[in-house]
Amino acid sequence: MTGLLAAFPSEQTLQSALAALRKEVLAPIETHTPQPLEADPPRSVLPLVILLAGLLGAFGTFALEAYATTASYPFDIGRRPYFSWPAYVPMAFEMGALAAVAAGFFGFLIANRLPHLYDPIDESPAFRRASRDAFFVAVRTKDPQQAARARAVLEALSPISLEEFLA
Amino acid sequence: MSTTQLPMQPVVDPAESPGAMTDRIAAIVLRERAYLWWWLLMIPSATLAGVMVVSILWLFYAGIGIWGIDWPVVWGFAIINYVWWIGIASGGTFISALFFLVRVEWRTSLNRLAESMTLFAAACAGIYPILHLGRPWFFYWLFPYPNTMTLWPQFRSPLFWDFCAILAYVVSSILFWYLGAIPDFATMRDTSVRRRPQLFYGVLALGFRGSGREWRNFRAAYAVLAAIMAPMVCSVHSIVGLDFAAAQTTGWHSTQFPPFFVFGAVLSGFGMVLFLALPLRRLLRLEAFITGRHLEVLARLLLVSSLCVIYAYMMDAFSTYYGAEPAEKIFFHERVTGLYAGVYWSTLLLNCVLPQLLWWRRLRLNQALVWLISSGVIVGMWLERYGIVVVSLHRPKLPSAWGNFTASIWDWALFAGTVGFFFAGLLVVVRLVPIISIFEMREILRKRQA
Repeated sequence: MTGLLAAFPSEQTLQSALAALRKEVLAPIETHTPQPLEADPPRSVLPLVILLAGLLGAFGTFALEAYATTASYPFDIGRRPYFSWPAYVPMAFEMGALAAVAAGFFGFLIANRLPHLYDPIDESPAFRRASRDAFFVAVRTKDPQQAARARAVLEALSPISLEEFLA
Repeated sequence: MSTTQLPMQPVVDPAESPGAMTDRIAAIVLRERAYLWWWLLMIPSATLAGVMVVSILWLFYAGIGIWGIDWPVVWGFAIINYVWWIGIASGGTFISALFFLVRVEWRTSLNRLAESMTLFAAACAGIYPILHLGRPWFFYWLFPYPNTMTLWPQFRSPLFWDFCAILAYVVSSILFWYLGAIPDFATMRDTSVRRRPQLFYGVLALGFRGSGREWRNFRAAYAVLAAIMAPMVCSVHSIVGLDFAAAQTTGWHSTQFPPFFVFGAVLSGFGMVLFLALPLRRLLRLEAFITGRHLEVLARLLLVSSLCVIYAYMMDAFSTYYGAEPAEKIFFHERVTGLYAGVYWSTLLLNCVLPQLLWWRRLRLNQALVWLISSGVIVGMWLERYGIVVVSLHRPKLPSAWGNFTASIWDWALFAGTVGFFFAGLLVVVRLVPIISIFEMREILRKRQA
């Protein structure tokens, strides 16, 4: 499989390259940019995952507290009710928040298949600028025809650099 | 006032470009040798951190009898310092999470520094309650795990909520800090030319390559985590306040304690951010990124939180006289005129009176003065906690139980040790991690140029 990696100086030029590629080439296209793309809305499954983990953490902790104080170890303190739910709330909140943050962090790693320490794209010398000031687009395809077409499209847009890598 | 004479400064020098900005911030970290000032600060800090280790080992060997605590003042330096450190930690989370949510631009260049401060302040806070347990090797009894004693922790006790709150806060702060730093670790990996930094930052970056999917998930996750961290930091300090308020002790049993503790925490947190940012921007030559605008905003926040604390102090005095509890009045008179009166009046001077100078814009822009005021606030907040913990406990309701507190050499040694640990940890971060969030600064620059 071959990959093509082209760098553009700004998000606008990258967006026009993306539009041209999507029209002309049938191959997976990925961007690599130093900052989030403005035109790219932060659509992700993670907020839902975080919400579910937070609710699970909070209600799970609440249930644990209720079980401990009513069923497992009921303890009579001056006839106060065993099911003293207001006292369960702070810990349920904290544990819910902890579960949510942990789900957000580890969910981020899983959703992005990280850690992913080596990738063939790293062999391209120009790619280091992807975390500095250049906006990259990578096209990967097995079809030599598509690769040739992608190269033609990208060359026409006069990128800062255009490299081939073994994807 | 004088707003027309001095124009508002920008949040970033308009002459900066994304590439040059990246190189400048990365170069601070990628220097082969550390700055001389770095060593001059690191040696005493690391020495003090060593004092902390010795104090802890001696404590484990000899027990908490080496501290000054005894009846009736059973909560001494351990609790004062715990509350003080956790308060300082809050400032970082407020800047990085709360001000992220309200989308203020000046937050961006302070956020990494403030969050790093949070990490080490929270670590200093976190060790105190464990050391204060008396038998610290049984700290795991606090976890609700199935045990042969068939016992549970006391879920109804604020002290136990506090354990959960601190645990959640410390772990979440670490994860939030790390998540926010991953794109910058990727930048460092790609910017460094030597093998060792490449490996070091390469591992820390976990293979983040700024792909579309990575950024989409990053933005979504970071925003949601910020929305969780902001209420969490308020809850942590409210629960610290409940540790006190749930007790029947004079001076503590008050419903205003949770917000009062949040106000105090915010005051000391902003104070510490200013205390660190003012010298660091000069030492690291970051004036283009931490501009006069940032310092002014922080000074205003310091003033606002000082006003909140003044309100809490006034309510404290008011409720003493509004309620007809004789023990509370005796305690309050003792606080104002007694053995520890100096602590009370110094607290008022440092937390309430001196920050009022920040009403004047000219004085807000005087960096030396702002640095002195913020140092004073940090000391003042420590004295406030001394007043809450020691002064309340030394006048219990029963006069026959009255007694005084004097800190021992080991109290001071452990306290000084945590201060050293805090600064040593921050210096390590300054040496190894870009102290300004580079990728967020790029977005600010893009908005400026658009």
